[in-house]
Amino acid sequence: MMEIAWIIPLFPLFSFLVLLIFGRKWRRGQIDFAVILSLVSFICALLVLFARFTQENVKVEFTWLTIGETQLTAGFEVNQLNALMLVIVSLVSFLVHMYSKAYMEGDERITVFFAYLGLFTFAMLGLVLSPNLLQTYIFWELVGVGSFLLIGFYFYKEEAKAAAKKAFIMTRIGDVGLLIGMILLFWQVGSFEYDEIFAVISAGDLSETMATLTAILIFIGAVGKSGQFPLHSWLPDAMEGPTPVSALIHAATMVAAGVYLVAALYPLFAFSEVAMLTIAIVGGFTAIFAATIGMTQRDIKRALAYSTVSQLGYMMLALGVGGYVAGVFHLTTHAFFKALLFLAAGSVIHAVHTQDIEKMGGLWKKMKWTAPLFLIGTMAISGVPLLSGFFSKEEILVSAWVSGHYLLFTLAIIAAFFTAFYMFRLFFLVFGGEEKKEQSAVKESSNWMTVPMLVLALLAIVAGYIQTPWFGTFLGDWLTTGIAANVHGHLDGPLWVMVVATVVTFLGILLAWLMYSKKVLSRDWFTSRAPYTYQLVINKYYIDEVYQYIFVKGSRFVSQILHFVEVYLIEGLISLVTITMRRLSIIGSKFQNGQTQLYGTVAFVGLAILIVVFALTGGGF
Amino acid sequence: MDLDTLLSFSWHAMGPEFIILGTATLLSLLDLFLPRSFHRKWLGWLSVASIVAAIVFLLTLIGDTPFAILYDTFRLDSFAIAFKLVLLVAAGFVLLLAISYEPKEKLTEFRGEFFYLFLVALLGAMIMSSSGDLITLFVGLELMTLSSYILVGIRKKHLPSNESAMKYVINGGIATAITLFGMSYLYGVAGTTNLLEMAERLQELTNTQHLFLLALAFLMILVGLSFKIAAAPFHMWTPDVYEGAPIPVTAFLSIISKAAGFILIIRMFITVFYHIPDVSNNSSLLMALQSFLAVLAAVTMIWGNIVALRQTKIKRMLAYSSVAHAGYLLVAVTAFSAFMVETIWFYLTAYLFMTIAVFSLLQLMNIEEVKQLSGLSKRAPLLAVALALTMLGLAGIPGTSGFIGKLNIFLGALSTEPTHYLLAAILIATTVISYIYYFKLIIYAFFREANRTFQMSGKKMNGVIISICVLMTVLLGVFPQLAYDFLHQNFLSFYDFLQ
Repeated sequence: MMEIAWIIPLFPLFSFLVLLIFGRKWRRGQIDFAVILSLVSFICALLVLFARFTQENVKVEFTWLTIGETQLTAGFEVNQLNALMLVIVSLVSFLVHMYSKAYMEGDERITVFFAYLGLFTFAMLGLVLSPNLLQTYIFWELVGVGSFLLIGFYFYKEEAKAAAKKAFIMTRIGDVGLLIGMILLFWQVGSFEYDEIFAVISAGDLSETMATLTAILIFIGAVGKSGQFPLHSWLPDAMEGPTPVSALIHAATMVAAGVYLVAALYPLFAFSEVAMLTIAIVGGFTAIFAATIGMTQRDIKRALAYSTVSQLGYMMLALGVGGYVAGVFHLTTHAFFKALLFLAAGSVIHAVHTQDIEKMGGLWKKMKWTAPLFLIGTMAISGVPLLSGFFSKEEILVSAWVSGHYLLFTLAIIAAFFTAFYMFRLFFLVFGGEEKKEQSAVKESSNWMTVPMLVLALLAIVAGYIQTPWFGTFLGDWLTTGIAANVHGHLDGPLWVMVVATVVTFLGILLAWLMYSKKVLSRDWFTSRAPYTYQLVINKYYIDEVYQYIFVKGSRFVSQILHFVEVYLIEGLISLVTITMRRLSIIGSKFQNGQTQLYGTVAFVGLAILIVVFALTGGGF
Repeated sequence: MDLDTLLSFSWHAMGPEFIILGTATLLSLLDLFLPRSFHRKWLGWLSVASIVAAIVFLLTLIGDTPFAILYDTFRLDSFAIAFKLVLLVAAGFVLLLAISYEPKEKLTEFRGEFFYLFLVALLGAMIMSSSGDLITLFVGLELMTLSSYILVGIRKKHLPSNESAMKYVINGGIATAITLFGMSYLYGVAGTTNLLEMAERLQELTNTQHLFLLALAFLMILVGLSFKIAAAPFHMWTPDVYEGAPIPVTAFLSIISKAAGFILIIRMFITVFYHIPDVSNNSSLLMALQSFLAVLAAVTMIWGNIVALRQTKIKRMLAYSSVAHAGYLLVAVTAFSAFMVETIWFYLTAYLFMTIAVFSLLQLMNIEEVKQLSGLSKRAPLLAVALALTMLGLAGIPGTSGFIGKLNIFLGALSTEPTHYLLAAILIATTVISYIYYFKLIIYAFFREANRTFQMSGKKMNGVIISICVLMTVLLGVFPQLAYDFLHQNFLSFYDFLQ
């Protein structure tokens, strides 16, 4: 089965092509067709994963391009990490396909939507199967294109158009880092192959400075894709896309690509302490930073988006402190419960036609399926014991503690508290409390939507048991066999870590319950005491405003001042570049005045300059 | 030269040229004697047939030992065959475009003229790729250039067309004069016009003073040919002429004429300038003057891409884009890596399909302004997809042949000693700039509402051309080894270049 793993991405590609070409005829059948193809793709991925349990890695390659002496290859590889990713991606994609069938019903461009879904799934599966950096980069870009198309799906909405553009540009900034890092690495190692890069590293032929430089450049690419600070602000805006897309791309798969890349190149990163520390700090900071913003959002999808950013920060933190297994484990569990949360949120939005949580309430009785499912997702992400998120978060916290980064550990604990708080805030506001008048006609969504959620909810509960301190560390033992870096299958941490994590989770839930359900604590209890902080947070630390070079008067915090200086400088440079380009372009066009005398003059002057320079310098002789 | 000598030449080496020449002659006679009522597009089909015949003939010549006939003035080596194939394929497509070309101000009276002038221009380009002598090189060049002057102005009653023809004549004249001046120095120092002989004699040059003359010759030839390939600062004619010329002629100028320029550059640089030692005798004249080439390449890339940003007419934008592509190709020439010729061959092939596709689309949609693309995706989704793929190719996005072409150039620039990392960086930076104007077309086609209705004027033929070209762009992007295998199996890295 593993030898034909290349077939997995071809199903969605086929679906994309068919829907693109025949999109206008027999719509109904085509959508079922797309759903079936994604199911086949998932089954194949599952078979590959099972095969990988008993067999060795498989790598198949052919010469793709010969440039002079250099041979570039293309092909695919199946190892533990990507076999796992294949299943995650194809499963979530299949469930989203199913869900979208009902969710997008009635949209006149529904076949286009499914075509884009196919393209995206193809790109993502191709990315995961790539055995070398160049191929990874190509699919990486294709994934970006798919995401761009899907975010901008409602292109007649100005916000959607702007969000698509923003996502494209901001991830592009990261991609430039990735590209440069990749080329530098190729220059040093002479190959794009993962295997050969790792071989060179373990042979000690790569200087540590070079490893640090390339690792950090590649990490910049991951920062862009995975929405890490400071390139995170496109992700919440990307929520302008249809909700199933948010579940597939901006929660479970594409944003995880950055984490996956760091995991796939783990031996390179592990070689450089500086790079590891950078990842850990960026991850830790993003985790807490996004969590604070998540507490203030009124839009249900945006709140979830910030929670995604925060959870991705957790994964990066885990990888940065050496918790390879913890990072991948959290990636897996997160994919399930975050996709669940988004799909459930979509179901709510579908029913009440608003995304504003202040306008929702009392849906617990109306939505018999969605509400408990959302609760399961909320409990999983908050780290309530015995659900999947509890185990993976626990693993990250232990990794952070054992590695000795106590500050980062503290940040992670605080972020866990915030997570529990804002997730239950969402839950109580949406499902608890009184019914709002305008929602009297709310109905539960159809089976096409609830069944995928059920599957995900089941996984959100049980997925954690593949790696627990009590029932064995199956995932860790399996993942770490034969990997070229020094990683642990499982770390035994002190018991109190688990206790503290559980306590902060329940504290967060308790606080949310007191404020939003019981209303014992007034909701402006915090805002009235620290209005400035609240303003800062609700405005997402003004990151967007800052990015759009609006200078907020009298910045209140030193950190903010520093931030402004930085942004001011960077933005200044950028606008300098754009202005220069525009000027040059104008001058260039003016120069082209249609007078052929001028053309002749320019030519002669050009020739004269060449000859004069030659005469003066002796032409390098 | 008696008859025996004449008959002793292996004339079949010139077979493809004879086919083209014969057809051109036949066409001019037919055009003269056939009645008015006979639609001249049949002459076009005849030309296409002759090109197919020439390609087939050329393919049979692959694998022979290199010929040199007519006292080494005409060479048939693998280099000549490989590049003639590019020229012929491009010419075939351009002819198909021309057959379905229906401008507003009718072409009826001149249509026949168009076809045989076109074949003559093609003949010039083919002779250039085969010549081993300054004289034939120059004759080929002029044959192509003179014919293309008339082709540009073939819409006699169309004022802009006349204007651009006039500009082209003047600028082309300047270019020819400069090239010829440079060549005369070469002849003056070497005392021969034969390229191989010239290289031998110049290697034994004892008087280093002569090197300076040769360097001047190099600069002048470079400048003269910069006109042909549309490299800055000798590119000024490009936008005006591209805009005024009929679409098939614009396609001809941006592919065949440019390719011919590069063929000439490669032939002369490798055979002659690469073999002239520099003053210190440890490297060659070409390497010593590399920095001049590098500056030209950099200026061309930057200028072409930046000015393209502000163009609102598609043809002018494409003109600057063609300038920019000349800049990328010059990077390959500057780097002079071991696989330069392969790189340029692949790039020209990739560029050929993308450019034909784009001009075919323009002709089909009958539009001039970028704005007119609005709403294309709704009205003609397939065309919009084709346009998008072509633009992605020109921009060099992975998955298209444009990416492979640029990747080759890029790796070539990094693989040589000294490394041309600055040029490579400029290549990347200007490529990023080019995304802006290429993607602009995509944005208009997909995300803007239509503000007027389309007047599709094209025929089925255009659709066929576009499909083939877009398919090739994607195919060569996904499986570039197809082209490379073809190249390696048949031409063995151009080993016989100097034999």
